[in-house]
Amino acid sequence: MERNIPKTSTVLSTLLRADFTTQYRNRRSLRMVLIIPLAILVSWKGLVPKIGGGFVLSSCITIGLISIGLMGYSNTIARDRDRGIFQRLRVSPVSAWTIMTSRLLVQIGMILIMTLLIFLVGYFYDGVVLSPLGYLICLIMTIVGGALYLSLGQAIVGRIQNPESVNSTSRLVYFAFIMIGMLGQFGALGKTVEVLVDWSPYGVVQKVLSGGLEPSTWSTNTGMSLLLTVVYTAIFATLGIKWFKWETKK
Amino acid sequence: MSDQKDTPILVVNHLNIFYGSFQAVNDVSFDVNRGEIFGLLGPNGAGKTSTLSAIEGLLKPRSGDISVAGYHIQKEPLHARANMGVQLQATSFQPELTIAEILRLFAGIYGVEIDQISIQKRLTEIGLASASEKRFGQLSGGQQQRVSLLISTIHYPQLLLLDEPTAGLDPQSRRQLWDRMEAIRENGNAVILTTHSMEEAEAVCDRIAIIDHGSVIAIDSPEAIIDCHRHDPEVINVSRKGKITLEDVFIGLTGRTVRT
Repeated sequence: MERNIPKTSTVLSTLLRADFTTQYRNRRSLRMVLIIPLAILVSWKGLVPKIGGGFVLSSCITIGLISIGLMGYSNTIARDRDRGIFQRLRVSPVSAWTIMTSRLLVQIGMILIMTLLIFLVGYFYDGVVLSPLGYLICLIMTIVGGALYLSLGQAIVGRIQNPESVNSTSRLVYFAFIMIGMLGQFGALGKTVEVLVDWSPYGVVQKVLSGGLEPSTWSTNTGMSLLLTVVYTAIFATLGIKWFKWETKK
Repeated sequence: MSDQKDTPILVVNHLNIFYGSFQAVNDVSFDVNRGEIFGLLGPNGAGKTSTLSAIEGLLKPRSGDISVAGYHIQKEPLHARANMGVQLQATSFQPELTIAEILRLFAGIYGVEIDQISIQKRLTEIGLASASEKRFGQLSGGQQQRVSLLISTIHYPQLLLLDEPTAGLDPQSRRQLWDRMEAIRENGNAVILTTHSMEEAEAVCDRIAIIDHGSVIAIDSPEAIIDCHRHDPEVINVSRKGKITLEDVFIGLTGRTVRT
């Protein structure tokens, strides 16, 4: 009997259910994504009066976004590609974009959960109180910033085939971003590094989030950071899609 | 598009596949009819899996046409794939999902409505009634193979593609798989499989194609191929027990050299 292709919405919702279940049960990945930004948020409680609640929250969210893009997304994609899970899906009536949309929507869900968790801990533990509009704009900006790190994760998993190499590379880039980003922003690595960090993927996302949390501080500088975030995303996404192979050569 | 009973379910026409400058498949053409089990045989690297990958739409041929149930695999890939079931050589599923969840996933992908009762019924049919809450990795090789086949046929495809389905299976599991393939054939659907087992080809295939160096060098029923080549000096030369078998013909045609 001839079988027609199912509706895209049916396929996407089926994939989403499976991908969310996979994400939920992958506790190690969840812990990796949440533990460091929350640990920083808790340990920076004393710094809130000095550097501002907006700066603290935006730094923690930026680190969370880096975790999701580099540690969560790229490693899951590398693992599933290596195990032939994508090949199994690609021989069924599912388009490649549906498979990737489902994966990305799960990561966006993770971004929103992580951001809300940081807002809550920031509010109840660190005593950071911001305007409702600030929280709303920041939530939207986390999607924009998250896209940058997801596209960077895509570029890494596109360039590197071996899942262990993807894991070690993404960890290296992750810690480099955190250490150089945070220390650089505090001026601990000199003026030149501070300027470089300011316009790096770390700095631009942090500024956009900070500007979103406190809309009254939004400036031309923040606007430029937003523009650069989009440019970085476009570059990494183009490379990530161009390099990406659905299977690893064995 | 066509669902006429007398038209082949799979048509492969002048297929050419290259990896860089290396030609893996050279002008391969064949049809697979409804209600037929068709085997692709060949030494390692002969082009079997490349041919199968092109049929699945995973590999883009340099030239040639492939249609499944009347749908061109390059032009209407989703329609073509909706009408075929595929069991890859190495299949894996998300290790976090249970068997029931994997079945629900693939049922949804193929647009098949499935509830817990039908999942249980289908698992019982393959002797895995208690496996619904287990993870794929917790099953034995034979059980994984049965689940894979169940997933490949969850939408009752008109064409089932199996890439070395019995590799690593014990005789009981292999026989069970042959029975399942024959049941699919009896329902009027077709199976195409690659195999290194001449015993398997003789036991279940209605027709076989022997591929070597990317080209089809023989295509017919196993008996007809044996009859056609039983007097070839190369075949007689490799015969071990006086009686000419399909393996003798295969080695006679493709040579004794071990391929890597």
